[in-house]
Amino acid sequence: METGTKSGEVRVEKVGGKSMVTKCFSKYPLKFIIPKKAGPSKTDSVWIYSLTYGGGIVSGDVISSGLYVGDGSTTVLTTQASTKVYKSLGSKCSEQLFEAEIGSDALLVVIPDPVTCFSTARYSQKQVFRVVPGSSLVLVDWITSGRHESGEVWDFNLYKSTNNIFFSDGQPLFLDTVLLEQGGIAPLAERMQDYRVIAMVVLLGPKLRHVQIRIQEDVKTMMSGQLRVSFSSLNCRKKPNPHNTSPDKPALVASCSAFGPKRVGVVVRIASMTTESVYSFLRHQLEDLEPLIGLSPYC
Amino acid sequence: MEIGHVSKKPAHAASSLQWSQWQLLDSILPTGGFAHSFGLEAAIGTHMIGGSEDLRTFVVHVLENSGSLLLPFVYSASKSPDANTLHNLDRMLDAMLTNEVGRKASVAQGSALIRVASAAFLEIPSLKMIRERFLGSGTVCFHHAPVFGLICGLIGLDSETSQRAYVFITMRDVISAATRLNLIGPLGAAVLQHQISDVAEAVVEKWKNRAADEACQTVPLLDTIQGCHAYLFSRLFCS
Repeated sequence: METGTKSGEVRVEKVGGKSMVTKCFSKYPLKFIIPKKAGPSKTDSVWIYSLTYGGGIVSGDVISSGLYVGDGSTTVLTTQASTKVYKSLGSKCSEQLFEAEIGSDALLVVIPDPVTCFSTARYSQKQVFRVVPGSSLVLVDWITSGRHESGEVWDFNLYKSTNNIFFSDGQPLFLDTVLLEQGGIAPLAERMQDYRVIAMVVLLGPKLRHVQIRIQEDVKTMMSGQLRVSFSSLNCRKKPNPHNTSPDKPALVASCSAFGPKRVGVVVRIASMTTESVYSFLRHQLEDLEPLIGLSPYC
Repeated sequence: MEIGHVSKKPAHAASSLQWSQWQLLDSILPTGGFAHSFGLEAAIGTHMIGGSEDLRTFVVHVLENSGSLLLPFVYSASKSPDANTLHNLDRMLDAMLTNEVGRKASVAQGSALIRVASAAFLEIPSLKMIRERFLGSGTVCFHHAPVFGLICGLIGLDSETSQRAYVFITMRDVISAATRLNLIGPLGAAVLQHQISDVAEAVVEKWKNRAADEACQTVPLLDTIQGCHAYLFSRLFCS
């Protein structure tokens, strides 16, 4: 993609043994902020904060950006606050496209705050990652149900998020698209049940082995304790509960799956009734990244 | 060639197709479909199923998510039922079924389906050839949706019927799992299946005839819950 069509581009390369920004460009409505020092100086990593002017994405905005993480370097891409997508004017859809290339022995950590779509918003995002053997990637992608304090619960019109990871020869490693649209065959709010936040965490590559092992064990322990035996304690043919509530649904549901050749990747899917419990889960599970990137995510 | 002989051929082909179609959709076909609950067992475990309304809602959600995620693969495979297309669709679906429980279930059912079909539908030698070629190379997992589309295409089913058939067997198998999980009796299951058939048709209408790269999940909660199947202490089903 030529620079002319992009809203932003950053190149991080290892120069003289340190990860350095060798190119940084952004134009309205996108802005990159790269602090000189994000963590202790002995940690080699570049932190990039991605912002939009006005603090949110306005109807019809199209933002595309690219990131190159060179061999051996470490980059963190994050936001300053939840990405707000404002209401759609005239059915216009806002779009974000992000493409990243991760080199050998390199680490990219994408740890944004969640997307919050306001009532009637229409938003689509696509994130494409190209990796080589030896690349490592942490990818967090999450969305809340809207401004619940204003009574907006899964009230937006369209949200689409695509996360694709390809090998350098173009073969797909991980392809995921979630499409949440009002007026499906089953109503959107019903598809989400009582959950207000959905999140996905992808952990890929050799530098994340310890994080993968820990998260798989922790999720298994957490969920095993909450699941009840399907057969014995259930009898749905009895009269339904007169109070019509489901007090037993776990406030946070999560599951882990390995993917890819030699199970090189782990994907965690989370549904939660509160945003705070997901922040807490992410803080806890990603704290082991601190030695790699200098700061603990979501603190 | 006599007129009578020519006019007999299309009718014979059409009825022959019906016999193959009914056999393909019959639950007695040994594809191991009964080992899978589409996340229903895990949904019970996570307290999502409180009563019969919840079961109906769950089945509708499974149909919608299968429609948006898997119908494009059935469609594409049935339109060009050949080895190369199967290979490409299989690789793509393997990368898309990110939930390990669902991915393994898809491979188990697809492998069993192509094994049965290549043994039974001997008038289609390409089925056996395709199966043996990919078993040898190990480059194809035999995911269910593309294999189903391939077989439908090769026996001569049009792509719309193939897609409707896929939604039919999905509905049939989830409801069947519900009876074995003691959520509904056999009579109630028959009533429910007929009641939901309008919704199932709406799913076909909405999600049919799309390219595989348009495949998406529309009920992400199902993926999260199905992934919990492995954490259940005691299980009746594989998935």
